[in-house]
Amino acid sequence: MDRTIIVDHLVKNFEVKEKEPGITGSLKSFLSPKKKIVRALRNISFTIQPGELVGFIGPNGAGKTTTLKVLSGLLYPTAGFAQVVGFDPWEKKAEFLKQISLVMGQKNQLWWDLPALETFELLKAIYEIPQKEYEESLKELVELLDLKNLLTTQVRKLSLGQRMRLELVAALLHRPKILFLDEPTLGLDLIAQQRMRDFIYDYNRKTQATILLTSHNMNDLVDLARRVIVIDEGQLIFDGAFEELTNRFAKEKIIKLSFSQEADLKELEKIGRVKKISFPEVVLSVPRTTTSVAAAEILQNFPIADLTIEEIPIEEIVRKVFRRELKIKR
Amino acid sequence: MRKYLGLFKISFQQEFVYRLNFIMWRVRNVLQILVAYFLWTTLFIGGGKIFGYDKNQILTYIFGVLIVRALVLSSRAIDVAGDINSGDLTLSLLKPINFFKYWLTRDFSTKALNLFFAFFETLFLVLVLKVPFFFQTNFSFLLPFSFSLVLAILIFFFLVLLIDMVTFWAPEMQWAGQFIFLAIITEFLSGAIFPLDILPQALQKVIYFLPFPYLIFFPVQIYLGKLALVNTLGGIMVEGFWVITLSLIVNFIWKKGLLRYEAVGR
Repeated sequence: MDRTIIVDHLVKNFEVKEKEPGITGSLKSFLSPKKKIVRALRNISFTIQPGELVGFIGPNGAGKTTTLKVLSGLLYPTAGFAQVVGFDPWEKKAEFLKQISLVMGQKNQLWWDLPALETFELLKAIYEIPQKEYEESLKELVELLDLKNLLTTQVRKLSLGQRMRLELVAALLHRPKILFLDEPTLGLDLIAQQRMRDFIYDYNRKTQATILLTSHNMNDLVDLARRVIVIDEGQLIFDGAFEELTNRFAKEKIIKLSFSQEADLKELEKIGRVKKISFPEVVLSVPRTTTSVAAAEILQNFPIADLTIEEIPIEEIVRKVFRRELKIKR
Repeated sequence: MRKYLGLFKISFQQEFVYRLNFIMWRVRNVLQILVAYFLWTTLFIGGGKIFGYDKNQILTYIFGVLIVRALVLSSRAIDVAGDINSGDLTLSLLKPINFFKYWLTRDFSTKALNLFFAFFETLFLVLVLKVPFFFQTNFSFLLPFSFSLVLAILIFFFLVLLIDMVTFWAPEMQWAGQFIFLAIITEFLSGAIFPLDILPQALQKVIYFLPFPYLIFFPVQIYLGKLALVNTLGGIMVEGFWVITLSLIVNFIWKKGLLRYEAVGR
């Protein structure tokens, strides 16, 4: 099978100098530096096929960005293997770099003091984009992202949202086959976020580019990613369709009840955990495996007008992943 | 080639953005020359010769330095240290462009601008202070002079990168390293402040083995027609040796440094 990205038993360690606070601390760390090994990636493996749009989920420091940096050739793996479009990223071959793009929410490649158009012209030269192709790409991107009047304004004078969209143009001018997006909606307002998401979605569909995206923004992931990879503490804990996250991690289901008359709600506690009461509506969470038994028992013993069984919302699962409430089961 | 031309153009524009910054930098250069001018004119008040130089010779030297230093000692590659420290190096690593050629191109754009200004400053000062500026017209001096300049530019480029790369291992050294290297060692040992041949012979012999005298002193001496052909060729050989050696060292350390680079700042 065709694979654009192969990551196999990838390990990345960082050496961190530790320093106690204060001047004595500085002096100590100067004389005898204490070093600590931080294990950013511990044995991660996955493959991605051409045209996939994959979301990377995990709390801060989980290793998402580190993975993207290894894949774009910025970091040298401590152990393991990474391959992108048939290249070893670390070698930084021009033919490789021409096929990828890394967009970081906090790093700007636009020349700060010049209009964005100047940077685009430079990128045209650096990536050796033919004039015609350049004009087409630029026209298309500018239209899609609604940037017409901003090209000749000094970049420093633009708002964050405008700048991020221009950064995206800069990253896409050479029509990369692989796009790494690190927190593309960071710091944007709701409308700008939505716009960015729509664009990423369209771009993936139209160009069949492979996109790997990390985000803390739940909506980004729910809207965009069909497949998610969840990593935590440098380890891969889930890889699959977004919907499957629920089956995998939700140990409980939600039962929503509507009572037809007063009843002793204390009795309900024996069946499941009561999450919310706003009489006559009651929300209950019960273990997955005994859901049907619980439902039958409730219908028998309580005056119920309506009963529905629901999955725990995906957002809640992801939130739990972020809060490290889900422990790894292997 | 076109990519480097494009880079040269945008880099050149960027230089213009911080007009005040640039003007202050040029003012500093002019002030330096003025300090040297007044220092030496004071020393020569009684006339005669000092260290084998008379007043006109020394002033000729100092004004020769003004042009040569604009060309050799102006650099954009000093920004690499900051890029390594802040993680902005990431952006240039992601581009299909040779890192060294990238920075050399940017160096050239800043040098072009500096040269342009230095030319008018020198003209102005020479006219106002009525200094005997020496115009070399002999092609057999101008040719090796331009050759030695190119090599001097490369030597300085590699030296700056070498200092920049200290940041890979000691990010906190960034500023101190550059200051010690650029403001003290280079200024003193390159002949930017005084002609090196006023130093004791023994010291001179040692210094001539280092790369520094070839940055300023050596090209200026050729320009002023003070070196015999044998010494000129010998010096150019030493320059060539340093260019090759430094480029090898820089390449080696660059590869080691990249292994340590953590692409910080997200």
